[in-house]
Amino acid sequence: MILVNYIACIILIVLGFYVILTKKNILKIIIGMGLVDYGINLLIISIGFNPGGTAPIFTFSELRPESFFVDPVPQALTLTSIVIGACVTAMALSLVIKIKEKYGTLDADKVRRLNG
Amino acid sequence: MQHYPILSIVTLFLGAFLTVIFGSKNETVRKFIALVASSISLILVLMLIKPVMIENNVIQYWMGNWRPIHDWAIGIGLEVDSLGLFFGIIAVVTIFLSIVFSFRYTEKDSETDKYYVLFLMLSGSVLGLVFTGDLFNMFVMIEIMTFAAVGLTAFRNYQEGALEAALKYLVLGSIGSSLVLAGTITIYSQVHTLNMAQISALLFNNLTPSTLFAFALLLAGYSLKAFVVPFHPAAPDAYMSAPSSISMAFSGMVNKAGVYAIIRLVYVLYHAMSFKSIQLLLIIIGTITMFVGVTMALAQNDFKRLLAFHSISQIGYVITAVGVSTALGLTAGLYHALNHTLFKGLLFLTAGAVFYATGTTDLNKLGGLAKKMPQTAAVFLIGAFSISGLPPFNGFVSKWLVYQATYQANLAPVTIVALLVSVMTLASFIKVAQSIFFGQMPKEFENVKEVPLSMRIPMWIMAILCVLTGIFPNFVTKYLISPAVSAALNVGKYIDIMMGNGYAEKILGKPVEIPAVDYVLAGYWNPVAWLVLFALLLLAVTIVAVAGGFNTASLPVDGDDSKYEVFFGGEANEYSHVKGNDLFWGLKYDLRHYFGFMHDAHSGIINDYALWAIFTTTIFIVYIFLLVP
Repeated sequence: MILVNYIACIILIVLGFYVILTKKNILKIIIGMGLVDYGINLLIISIGFNPGGTAPIFTFSELRPESFFVDPVPQALTLTSIVIGACVTAMALSLVIKIKEKYGTLDADKVRRLNG
Repeated sequence: MQHYPILSIVTLFLGAFLTVIFGSKNETVRKFIALVASSISLILVLMLIKPVMIENNVIQYWMGNWRPIHDWAIGIGLEVDSLGLFFGIIAVVTIFLSIVFSFRYTEKDSETDKYYVLFLMLSGSVLGLVFTGDLFNMFVMIEIMTFAAVGLTAFRNYQEGALEAALKYLVLGSIGSSLVLAGTITIYSQVHTLNMAQISALLFNNLTPSTLFAFALLLAGYSLKAFVVPFHPAAPDAYMSAPSSISMAFSGMVNKAGVYAIIRLVYVLYHAMSFKSIQLLLIIIGTITMFVGVTMALAQNDFKRLLAFHSISQIGYVITAVGVSTALGLTAGLYHALNHTLFKGLLFLTAGAVFYATGTTDLNKLGGLAKKMPQTAAVFLIGAFSISGLPPFNGFVSKWLVYQATYQANLAPVTIVALLVSVMTLASFIKVAQSIFFGQMPKEFENVKEVPLSMRIPMWIMAILCVLTGIFPNFVTKYLISPAVSAALNVGKYIDIMMGNGYAEKILGKPVEIPAVDYVLAGYWNPVAWLVLFALLLLAVTIVAVAGGFNTASLPVDGDDSKYEVFFGGEANEYSHVKGNDLFWGLKYDLRHYFGFMHDAHSGIINDYALWAIFTTTIFIVYIFLLVP
């Protein structure tokens, strides 16, 4: 059922934003960013989904007039998006390690030397 | 010619990869690669001026030659119209000058190979963003841009706050990217194509709630990339902690990439400027941006942080003028975008020069550097005059156009705010000039030297460009701005080139005529006359000074006569430089509630900044659903 996908991805996105807004631990904020990413990836895949469609790869013997595909473009987009998300997470985590070394804390309320 | 855009992008990315492979050991090799890559890219883009700007062609390029089939775009296409090329020119000039500046500027840093890799990636992604004709490609490029920008922000990670600034930039930037991605995919779900020309044709007079929702998400996402006000607080942190050559690139092209994306979105993709409510939305956020930016700048004590807030404020002018959406308004906006790149790049470079020479950018520690660094002081003054909008420099031209455009559109209150912001800009640059270049020099800067030649050359090029674009506005308008304005207002051509002739005409109808901006309305303003007056005054002051008219010799030097010294409580005061904090304290005191509120609002906590971004996005969505039919 495709509706479940949409509900799930909206829940994921909202939860992600909730984590970013309320959690004071920087590590958890990064987990929140990840959740938003996964929610959007699920959204992209769901948009390209055709109920009953096959994978968009075929050989000549498989191709029959009644067969149809799921939309391949969103799958390509999702792959790109997943790669970018992994990079962002890796970068954020490396920053977190450095911040922990320098500030001695991961509390967002204390990592605020630049303000005003 | 058709291959120039893709080559100019690929050269930069290739340069980045070659730097990784060959440049990690040898300093000269990596500088050579960076210089060659950026100059090839500069030359290729400048060679596009003739066909695109003057002969008014639109260049299209299908990656892998995947052309549209049955009027349906299936491949990724690059499309360079004069709007994209205008921002492309801004980007390549910034890249080239910034690379030249960084050769000596980064000599004290270790691991500069990473610096050049990230910088070339940043440059390539900005060029890719402005040249692409594909909505998802735009997202990818903007994500590479954010990624490289975050890396560069944290490049001097031993500096106070650099890591923190990078983290804030990363969190806010990825919220923006998520919004852009969600918007892109929502459009895709409605029209089943990612080609911007085709989307533009399909969305004309065909807005559904889903596409409106996508519009709100994209507008919020790209506004975050352009750092308009409720999304801005990561920007000053990042600009402040990044090396100055990078700050220049940030305000020169990363910001502009966001502005470009907003223009592309509202004018080309959605044809949204026919809606009064969208115009009003852009004008409101633009006006808030310029006001908040400049008032925050007044309260800063760090040179680069102050410049960063001014950068935000000037982007406000651009967004406001773009929101006015008449041909004059768009001309004003694009002209100011160009000028902002020039004078703000110049000012960030002078900040870099001051940092290189003294090791600090704190306004309260510096003073009297004009004696030691006369050329830096001179180009700083040119930049400061330009940003404050004094004739004959370029800021005056574009700010005048902004006033004129807003006033003609019956938006007199906006004009007044714009004038007020301009006055406050001048005030805060008086403060900067006084506390860095004039006044008494602290003892520890006695041995400060002028920066090396390779750092002065980019500054002087920027300064000369500032003066030239101020004196010859007719040429700039004719050859750079008007074609870009025409491209933004006449979408039909953009669609036709990509999708085949006649595709747009059946949907859009006739093209819009662009009225020539002839500067008759600018009243008594004649730039050449102002230049002559400026030169005469300069000459007069020089002659009087040389002839001993100011009689500086009769003033006591080095405490010959103690009666001329500054006394404090009966004791001679040893060091009495008027610092940055000492200026405008009356203004700051009178408006202490406002300044206090703004200071508390920029709390430095990531959660608060994320809350602003998400809250404003929600407001955008609600506003667009309520007010756009």
